[in-house]
Amino acid sequence: MERLAFAHPAYLWGLLAVALPILVHLFNQRRPRPLSFGAIEFVLRSQRQKARRLRLRQIILLALRCLLIAAVALALSRPSLKPRGAVAAQSTGPQATALVLDASLSMRYRLGASTLFDRSRREALAALDRLGPDEPASVGLCAGPAGFVGVGIGTPSFDRAAARRLLQSAQPTFLGSDMTGCLASAARALGESPVAGKRIIAFTDLAAHSIRLDAPPPLVPPPSAPGKSSSQTGIRPTVVLVDAAQGRELPNAAIIGTAVRPSASLGPRGYEVVATVANYSAQAASGLQVSLHIGQQTLAKGFVDVPARGTAKKTLGAVLPAGVIMGRVDLAREEAQGLDEDDGQDFVVHVPRDVKALIVDGSPSSLRSRDEAFFVEAALSPARSGGRISAQTLDADAAANASLDGFDVILLLNVPAPQRAFAERLRNAVAHRGAGLFIALGDHVDPDAYNDALGDLLPRSLHLLKSSIEQGSEEHAARFGVIEWTHPLFRIFGAAERESLESARTFRYALLKPDPGSQAHTIASYDDGAPALLEGRPGAGRVLLYTSSASRGWTDWPIRSSFLPVLQQAVSFLAAALEEKSPSPAQVGDERAIAAPQGLAVAAVVGPDGKPVALRREKQSETDAVVGPLQLPGLYRTQVGPLKGTPHEDGSLAFVATLDPRESDLRRVDESELKAQLGGAGSAQVAASSEAAQGAHGTPLWSGLLLLGALALLGEGTLTRK
Amino acid sequence: MTLDPALLARLGPLQIRARKVMEGVLTGLHKSPHHGQSVEFSEHKEYAPGDEIKHIDWRAFAKLDKYYVKRFEMETNLRALLVVDASGSMAYGRGGLSKLQYAAICAGALAYLLSRQGDQVGLLVAGDAEPGSSERLPEGVRSFVPFASSPTHVQELLQRLDSAQGRGATLLSAALDYAAEKAGRRALVVVLSDLFDASERSVPALKMLRSRRHDVLLLQTLDREELDFPFDDPTRFLSMEDERQIEAQPRQIRESYLSEMRRFLESTRRELARADVEVEQIPTDSPPDRVLIKLLARREAA
Repeated sequence: MERLAFAHPAYLWGLLAVALPILVHLFNQRRPRPLSFGAIEFVLRSQRQKARRLRLRQIILLALRCLLIAAVALALSRPSLKPRGAVAAQSTGPQATALVLDASLSMRYRLGASTLFDRSRREALAALDRLGPDEPASVGLCAGPAGFVGVGIGTPSFDRAAARRLLQSAQPTFLGSDMTGCLASAARALGESPVAGKRIIAFTDLAAHSIRLDAPPPLVPPPSAPGKSSSQTGIRPTVVLVDAAQGRELPNAAIIGTAVRPSASLGPRGYEVVATVANYSAQAASGLQVSLHIGQQTLAKGFVDVPARGTAKKTLGAVLPAGVIMGRVDLAREEAQGLDEDDGQDFVVHVPRDVKALIVDGSPSSLRSRDEAFFVEAALSPARSGGRISAQTLDADAAANASLDGFDVILLLNVPAPQRAFAERLRNAVAHRGAGLFIALGDHVDPDAYNDALGDLLPRSLHLLKSSIEQGSEEHAARFGVIEWTHPLFRIFGAAERESLESARTFRYALLKPDPGSQAHTIASYDDGAPALLEGRPGAGRVLLYTSSASRGWTDWPIRSSFLPVLQQAVSFLAAALEEKSPSPAQVGDERAIAAPQGLAVAAVVGPDGKPVALRREKQSETDAVVGPLQLPGLYRTQVGPLKGTPHEDGSLAFVATLDPRESDLRRVDESELKAQLGGAGSAQVAASSEAAQGAHGTPLWSGLLLLGALALLGEGTLTRK
Repeated sequence: MTLDPALLARLGPLQIRARKVMEGVLTGLHKSPHHGQSVEFSEHKEYAPGDEIKHIDWRAFAKLDKYYVKRFEMETNLRALLVVDASGSMAYGRGGLSKLQYAAICAGALAYLLSRQGDQVGLLVAGDAEPGSSERLPEGVRSFVPFASSPTHVQELLQRLDSAQGRGATLLSAALDYAAEKAGRRALVVVLSDLFDASERSVPALKMLRSRRHDVLLLQTLDREELDFPFDDPTRFLSMEDERQIEAQPRQIRESYLSEMRRFLESTRRELARADVEVEQIPTDSPPDRVLIKLLARREAA
């Protein structure tokens, strides 16, 4: 698809000089000097032998001489090969030119050492240099939802230095791009130039996702002359799309999703990370290596086969440390080419810490099933809690003398009112150290003694014990009436599982003294309105009071299937070690609202590059914040603090920004459809380089011709010397 | 003293040229370390039994009444036939002497030398017949001068040589047949020719002469231009003996020409040497007296 062009066609007349060697040849042939020679016999013999070779050599000599002259004449006319399509752009006069440089993520695609963006920028700078002195230009970087990065594309001007600076400092973004929108904006910007010719040169990878084929073609609005109505339609600019990939297919593999979930089979704090790997090439990819990193450590590696233009999931298992864990899954980098940025994804997961519980058994029994702590121990056993909870059981007397240090949760099960010293230690552990306290009642409990001993640790004071009329009579047993399903204790129940909780029957429970000023929060109550479960927050810790027994003494709830999860949740809740849902990832280019925890305000958000991100406060809230549009993929950390105080990092508010998976798909748009969308082949073209588009030199051929001439000269010299 | 052929060319009639060369040869011989017996000097030796009776000098017996034997009578009794090729190709020679002129000088000088020492000299000019000549000679013989040794005979011989023109085809073999016939008993046959013979019969003819017990010496005269082929411009070469002609780029065929020529000279020399025919290849730009001195010296030594 190339065409020969000459810079100085006049020199082609020099080709006529080829006649010279031909004339000399004929002249030589015609006029030999006659000589009578004695030894003619030998001349004859030599001539006969050499005649053919001589003729051949003479012809070669003639050809070489002609070639020499022709090569020099052709070289002087400076021929060059130009890609087709150069004519259209060249034929018209000066044109206002908009240079649109695609700065989307996909332009970071690496071909060998340089990226598509680097190539395109070089092309754009070259295109800028080739503009005529009477052609104004403007430059825009196309990326992001706003169309252009920064201030957008301006009116074409003659300030080449500014345009050059803008191009030189341009960097590819991590955002998607809307090339169709950019072309339309560029066309509008061209409308503000008085120069009649309008041209857009876009440097892009022609990825199908950035181009909307159903959109109207870009139109330059007519000059807004006063007095004229706007009935005049716009004109179509010449659109040149300079293909950064030069027609190549750009295969790419990417991780487009990461899910993290606990995996009981891997033991305590075992998690499986499921990476979704997409293959955007026409060939199936086999043996792609996926690895899981936490910090500097690689925890797991695996291989996955992905069908052509398909996706596959790869699950990697790992035991994670407790806390807010920030990790990354990535694909092995491809050396030759590829988009590196989408080969990995960060994730954040909140791994609950281990809980150490002390069960104080108020009514031990040699018969296991009669033991007061039987059901609680069963519920908290490592086999059922996934190993996260380790429980130790003591009887009331032993507990009274034991140290409470190191226990996150203390469960008092049907314990007689504790001694003053033990009560003091309990208060200390809960109110100051932040431990949790679970109180279940039973026959050993004397309400007044409890009120005296524990006092403010109880969410509300105990009043008296209430029995339903007759034990065993189902009709009169109390059931849970109002349950706060959204509370962490109950939110694990789906609608189908609630019945197991609602059907539990309670025959005996404690009534509480009315206390209108109490901060206690009732999270479940019986159908007669009496509280069943209350939450209190004395100081730093949490207390749960269950007004019935944790054994079958007063209720049949412990033998119900709902007892176990509620108790496990209760222990985790009291230890502030609930499994939090990991925050959903944001997408680069989006905004993200961050809700501050109670009583604190979002102070700063630090991006993946370690620099703080600009915050915006919503009008309704002084403490919450909105960040974005997010520019970089990766982990964002949030610092919170009181409105006037030093902030600290809150791991639970950390979140991850992922890349737009559409950018990973570099499938090319169909060129003919694209041309049709842009207004037909007359005004639109796709070129491999901007040189072609602007009709500049093309591939110079004259140096090769000079070399050819030199070779001809050399050959001629060698032949005549003999 | 050496005689430059260029100088000889300006000397005028052949008589003078040949005499000059002969004088040069004589001077050279006096200087030569291989000075042998003069043919003119004869010695008498007292007869002793065993000497041939027919060699007794009866005149000395009559004078002195003693038997004396003439010792060198046999050597003075040499008959030499000079055969000069006067074909077209022998006329070649631009600038200086043509090959024929050079051959004539050499032949003339030899005639002088031989007759001076009393030898009989004959001449045969080989070539096509003289137009309008009344002499009835066989084909290939333009003129023939029988053996004799008087000074007038040498003058006659020189005249024939001087008037010889190089033209026509080489008919050397026919001439040599005639020479063999005329030479009769054993003789020295000196052939001066370039041996450029299209029919290639000259060499067998020379061998035939030798096989008849004649002492055959070939002086092959060659022009320097024929040996070096120093031409550059495109040339149409014309044959000097017939109608053939050829256009050639001398620069392009030089190498081939030179190797052809070298092969010709080499094979001629080798073939004749094998038949015990002495060959001397002489470029016409070498001084003829030097050539003759060398030749004679070598024969003396042999």
